[in-house]
Amino acid sequence: MIRIGTPRALFFYQYYPLWHTLFTGLGAEVVISPPTNREIMAGGLAGMVAETCLPVKTYAGHVAWLRDAGVDWIFIPAIRSICGTDFNCSKFLGLPDLMQANVKGCPPILDIDVDASKPERTLERALQAAGLRLSKDRRRVDAALAAALSTHHRYQAMMRDGLTPMQAMVQLGFLHADEAPSTFHPPFTPPFQGGAGGGKASPLTIALVGHPYCIYDTYLNHDILKRLARLGVRVLTCEMAPAEGLMQGIQRLSGEWYWTYEGEVVGAAGHYFADPGVDGVIAVAAFGCGPDSTMLAVIQRTARLESRAYMSLIIDEHSGEAGIVTRLEAFVDMLARRKAKTR
Amino acid sequence: MKVTVPHAGHLWVALHTLFERTGIEAIEPPPSTQRTVSLGVRYSPEWICFPFKVMLGNFIEAIELGADTVAMAEGPMLCRLGYFAKLYEQTLHDIGYANVRVLAFNWQDEQIVGLAKFLRSILGEEYRWRDITGFIWHGIQQIALMENLEKRVQYLRPRARDCQQVERIWATAAPRIIAAHDKKALKAVRHELEGELSAVPLDSRADPLRVHLLGEFFVVIDPFVNMDLEVELGKRGVHVTRSRWIAEWAKIWLFLELIGLGHDKKVKRAAHPYLSRDVSGEAIYTVGETVLRAQEGYDGIIHLQPFTCMPEIIAQNVLPRALQDHDIPVMYLVIDEQMGKAGYMTRVEAFVDLMRRRRTRIRKEVAIA
Repeated sequence: MIRIGTPRALFFYQYYPLWHTLFTGLGAEVVISPPTNREIMAGGLAGMVAETCLPVKTYAGHVAWLRDAGVDWIFIPAIRSICGTDFNCSKFLGLPDLMQANVKGCPPILDIDVDASKPERTLERALQAAGLRLSKDRRRVDAALAAALSTHHRYQAMMRDGLTPMQAMVQLGFLHADEAPSTFHPPFTPPFQGGAGGGKASPLTIALVGHPYCIYDTYLNHDILKRLARLGVRVLTCEMAPAEGLMQGIQRLSGEWYWTYEGEVVGAAGHYFADPGVDGVIAVAAFGCGPDSTMLAVIQRTARLESRAYMSLIIDEHSGEAGIVTRLEAFVDMLARRKAKTR
Repeated sequence: MKVTVPHAGHLWVALHTLFERTGIEAIEPPPSTQRTVSLGVRYSPEWICFPFKVMLGNFIEAIELGADTVAMAEGPMLCRLGYFAKLYEQTLHDIGYANVRVLAFNWQDEQIVGLAKFLRSILGEEYRWRDITGFIWHGIQQIALMENLEKRVQYLRPRARDCQQVERIWATAAPRIIAAHDKKALKAVRHELEGELSAVPLDSRADPLRVHLLGEFFVVIDPFVNMDLEVELGKRGVHVTRSRWIAEWAKIWLFLELIGLGHDKKVKRAAHPYLSRDVSGEAIYTVGETVLRAQEGYDGIIHLQPFTCMPEIIAQNVLPRALQDHDIPVMYLVIDEQMGKAGYMTRVEAFVDLMRRRRTRIRKEVAIA
């Protein structure tokens, strides 16, 4: 049986159920790298140019882990655009070449070219082409692809209903609940207690916006989600924003959808800024991220103009846990004081 | 309306003539200085690339002199350039220049036709299309002349007996070309300047190294941003070449692209084993030209990139793999507002020494063989 490795980084959080269903449907075994740890990160840092952003370096570490695990193929998509006229960071388009160049002894790469502006390169067509490399039987590929897409849609719907990608993947059976304990928080969205009448104060609600690979990689971000949960904060993320909310947010903040994945971040920030139930917004970004350098500026500007509580956390391989904890606590304290005052 | 356009290489040579001929009031940003950079850095997002910051500084300094409209080119691709115009307008408004408009010409829509429409919207509807295309063509010719002379200057710097003589002639080129308002005048200026340059006495013992500059377009072509790298290398006996030229860019993106012949197939083929996709920006040229120059026996490559430039980071990451197959020294220079010229020149000198030693060694090996 062919073993296909998929790195637990970058696109993993958005598409893993899709890829997994497709490849297993075609008789392959899907191997996934473990959650990022010190060794994986060190492996990634070793080869890459220093200016490369942390998520891409981490990705290289995961690819190196999969190489050591002896997979036959590594699945690395090159995604240029997902819907129409938007653009992706060029690093994502260069990902297969980057890995080939920087991971020594990299296994053969199963790559797909996704470019929604070309009809022959939509996500479906690209995945179909990848499927045909695994199986010559077109009907079987199409059936597997249809199953994969329906899983993908279910996965997306679950996230919109308030589950994190990790929770949704566990519920769909792609991950074990104990596989990534620190990323799995059952009391993640606690119900409101008390209320306006009195009793206990309602918990703070903070929107955490940023790329899934920054928000859900607990090693890179020093487990922000869990820390916020421990501080008694109710957390919302980009995936939980409704599609129309995202579009309105983008229109309000930047006018148009320019970057594929940054659009989601800006849209979510815009959506949550407009939501009076959200007490504050935290943006998490990797240092040196090209698209985020512009998008954070847009978000920050809106926060200033609309006087909303906002903080940005920039992560890189040197960011210390203590610094992040201090800033999170200070932000939460500030929001709590603010809320008590306005009551 | 008082228009301003950012500095980029010799772009203003053509713009001066254009605005003089049409009588449009335009404001050239003062030559970029440390103040330009400081202004740009103060109001820019922290890790946006250096070209954004310098151009913002240009705009602010031009607005201080009375400009109220900013005109620039943008190319929406995977690089951030496509988002610049929007961000500039927001930033300038936030600083307090509420009436400043930012007009952007997108070269990927309609190429030369788009530029003609853009220019007409600035100059005014009373100009006929024939005049507009005439202006554009003359401007491109001026820049092409400027750049062809610059190629000659690059050749002469390490070979002339008196390097300063070359610089003195070169310094007169821009004002003379600006004054050439028509084809005939331009031709006369070309003859004069070419004559003056070919009269420069050469040092017959000169044995210049050949170095190719490549990387992100703006930092390669703009002498302020790359701190006069070409002059400094020339003084140290290096014949510098480069492939990033505004006239060349215009040829590819304004004309050839219109009929689908824009890309240099040879460079793409050379890059393909190492970088198989055009990740936008100049990344594919960086990789492809490195391979080609190595095959041509160049002594070295200097790769210039602004800090956090996405396409060039990819190029820099894949280049080591190309260099396993192609033997050529490469120096990487990452440019941002933190750069000091002294540190930078020390590195350049060390690189020149390295290339000299390498050349001597190779010549010895050839002689022994």
